[in-house]
Amino acid sequence: MRKPLSLLAASTALSAAIGFPGWSAEPTLMEPGLMEPGLMEPGVMAPGVMEPGVMAPGGTPVLAMPGTAAEADLLVLASGDDDDDDDDDDHHDDEDDEDECDDDDDGCGRRRPDPAPAGTVAPPANGLFGTGAPPQVKVN
Amino acid sequence: MKSLLATLALTTALTLPSLALARPVTLTTTLTNYGGDGAYLALYVTDPSGAYAGSLWMAGGKSKYYEHLADWYRATAGDPAQINGITGASVGAGRSLEITLDLADALFDAGYTLHIDAAVEEMRDSPNEIAVPLTAAGAGQPVKGRRYIASFRYDM
Repeated sequence: MRKPLSLLAASTALSAAIGFPGWSAEPTLMEPGLMEPGLMEPGVMAPGVMEPGVMAPGGTPVLAMPGTAAEADLLVLASGDDDDDDDDDDHHDDEDDEDECDDDDDGCGRRRPDPAPAGTVAPPANGLFGTGAPPQVKVN
Repeated sequence: MKSLLATLALTTALTLPSLALARPVTLTTTLTNYGGDGAYLALYVTDPSGAYAGSLWMAGGKSKYYEHLADWYRATAGDPAQINGITGASVGAGRSLEITLDLADALFDAGYTLHIDAAVEEMRDSPNEIAVPLTAAGAGQPVKGRRYIASFRYDM
């Protein structure tokens, strides 16, 4: 009787030693540290993502098992901001870059300097101009 | 007395051509009412082979926009030395820009062409909007542009 008992105890201990860490390491949607950044932020998640029984748009169950297609759908729903026409927080288009340069002309890297306005220096010696009167300009 | 007159005639004959090497030429560019901000205009000349010969005027003082004057920019790489002393303000829609320059006679009836590139912020660029041969006969003849320039003409 002692032998089967000790065998049972040993196998139980072995199962616990191997199985418990593995079980703990299984990722779940309820662990914030394993999710994509921002998944837990209010307003970013799909509505009702933490509530059992609630369905996401399109009928996807919001409590999906890890590693399933439903989980992939959820992650897309939660993190997906694929459209380009939203927020302006991290996006910088060309015009924004140009506007930044407006305020600080010296801070715009390798951009060429602005030319000298007419009247401040002589026209360039490109052979097109005579040595007579300086340029005259009028806007009507 | 005879030798004095001869000397006077000779000096006069030598002086007159040098005075006639350049002449004032007025370039008038009238813009359409395109409904946008002020237009940047690059006026420049190409030689008989089509190579860039030099700039005559730049309307618009911010070098960061020059790349939109595509043909001029390609020829000059936006070098401000090309337009130092011949740069003024951009020109508003519907306005008329009149520039009088002392231009070399050698530019006329010698195969040179005057070009204008135009650009307006947030609107389509218009390189080579005007391309007009510089000839004495062409003076005073208005030329129509494609997009922003209603008419251009030069008078001398």
